[in-house]
Amino acid sequence: MSKHVHFISDLHLTQDRPQTTQRFVSYLESLDANVSDLYILGDLFDTWVGDDDPTPPNQLVKDKLKSLTDNGVNVHFLAGNRDFLIGQQFFDDTQVECLEDEHIIDLFGVKTLLMHGDLLCTDDTEYQQFRQLTHNPAWQQAALAKPLEERLALAQHYRQQSHLNKQGKSSEIMDVNETTVLNTLQKYNTARLIHGHTHRPNKHIHKVGEQEAERFVLAEWDKTGSILDWTEQGYNIIELS
Amino acid sequence: MTIIKLTTNQGVITLELDAEKAPNTVANFVSYVEDGFYEGIIFHRIIPNFMAQGGGFTNDFKQKDTKDQIENEADNGLKNDRGTIAMARTGDPHSATGQFFINLADNGFLNHTSKTQQGWGYAVFGKVTDGMDVVDKMAAIPTGSGGMFPTDVPQEEVIIEKAEVIK
Repeated sequence: MSKHVHFISDLHLTQDRPQTTQRFVSYLESLDANVSDLYILGDLFDTWVGDDDPTPPNQLVKDKLKSLTDNGVNVHFLAGNRDFLIGQQFFDDTQVECLEDEHIIDLFGVKTLLMHGDLLCTDDTEYQQFRQLTHNPAWQQAALAKPLEERLALAQHYRQQSHLNKQGKSSEIMDVNETTVLNTLQKYNTARLIHGHTHRPNKHIHKVGEQEAERFVLAEWDKTGSILDWTEQGYNIIELS
Repeated sequence: MTIIKLTTNQGVITLELDAEKAPNTVANFVSYVEDGFYEGIIFHRIIPNFMAQGGGFTNDFKQKDTKDQIENEADNGLKNDRGTIAMARTGDPHSATGQFFINLADNGFLNHTSKTQQGWGYAVFGKVTDGMDVVDKMAAIPTGSGGMFPTDVPQEEVIIEKAEVIK
C-alpha cells in the first residue's frame, strides 16, 4: 500500500486557543504507520520567543511530536513568520528535522518546492524589511539573549504591530506576488509548489514558460484543521472538525 | 467629557475623552493615567500619515505591568479620523491594555465593520482638542531602529513626562 505524506501549516498554536491544540494533539495521536512523513510548513506556533519558553502548549506539543518521531514518522519543520526563532534545542528534543526556507522534495516522482509563503508576499515591503532584519543572526542572538519575560513582552508587542499597520492588514492576509511566484518556480525549475501563510487555501495553476506548474496553498487551522494528504495516487484534503 | 493633559518633552497634548460612547475604554485609560502608568512612557512607534503609538514602553524599552485586557468598544460609531485616539491591541479584538495610538490621518480601514476578528476594528475613545501641532512635530522626527524594534522608532525620544486628568 502506498504511504501517505501530509502537509500542514498555520496552526498558530497558543495558550489562548486550546481547541486547536487539542485538535492537533488528537491528529498526531491518530497517525499510524501509513503516514511516512509529516511536513509542517511554518506557523505551527503563534509565537516562539525561545526554546526555553515553558508557556503552554509548548511542552505538550514537543512531547507529542517526540512520540510521533519515536514511532517512526518523519516529521519535518520549515519555519514561518511567527515561529522562526525555533532553535536547535527544539529539534534535538523532538527529533523533528529542520528545513531551509526553500526546500525541495521528491513527492512521488514530482520535484516539489516547499515554502512557508511569506517570502512570496513581496508586495508587503514593510514586512519584508522586518523579515530581513529579524532573520539577521546578530539580531536573533541579541533577541534570544534577553530575559524570557522581556522576550514574551516583545512578542506581544510584535503581534500588536503586525496587526495595526498601514495597509490595515496583518501580514498573513496579504497575498503572494504573482511575479515572485513565477520567478521562484523558475529558479528551482519545479512544476509544484506547496506553501501556507496567506490563509487562502486553494490550488492555482501557473504558466512558467511552456510548462504548467501547480501551487497548493494550505489552510490555516481555525474552526477546523486541514491537511493536504498525498499518496502515489494523488492528493486529498482532510478536514478535522 | 473627560479632559486629559499629556505633557511630553515635545509639548502638551490635550485629549477629550468620550465616556458616553466608550465608557469602558475611557475608564480603563483614566485608571492608567491616575496610576501614573504613562509617566516615563514613550511613543515608540510613529508612522507619518498613519499613526503615533505609545503607552507600552519606558525609554529603555521595558514594559510596565498592565491591567486586564478590555472589551473592544469599536462598534460605538466613533471613526478613526485624524486627531482621534484609539486603543492598540493584538490580533485578538479584545486584547487592549495600556497601549494607544493617535491617528495622523483618516484611517477608515481601522473602523469597525463587523463583529469578526478581521472586522472588529480599533476602538476610538476620544480626540486631541489641543496640541495636534505637537503630534505632527512628533511625526516629523526621523525614525529607525530602537530597542529591539527594527523600524519606526523615533530617533529623538518622545516621552510622556506627566499625564493628568483635568476634569
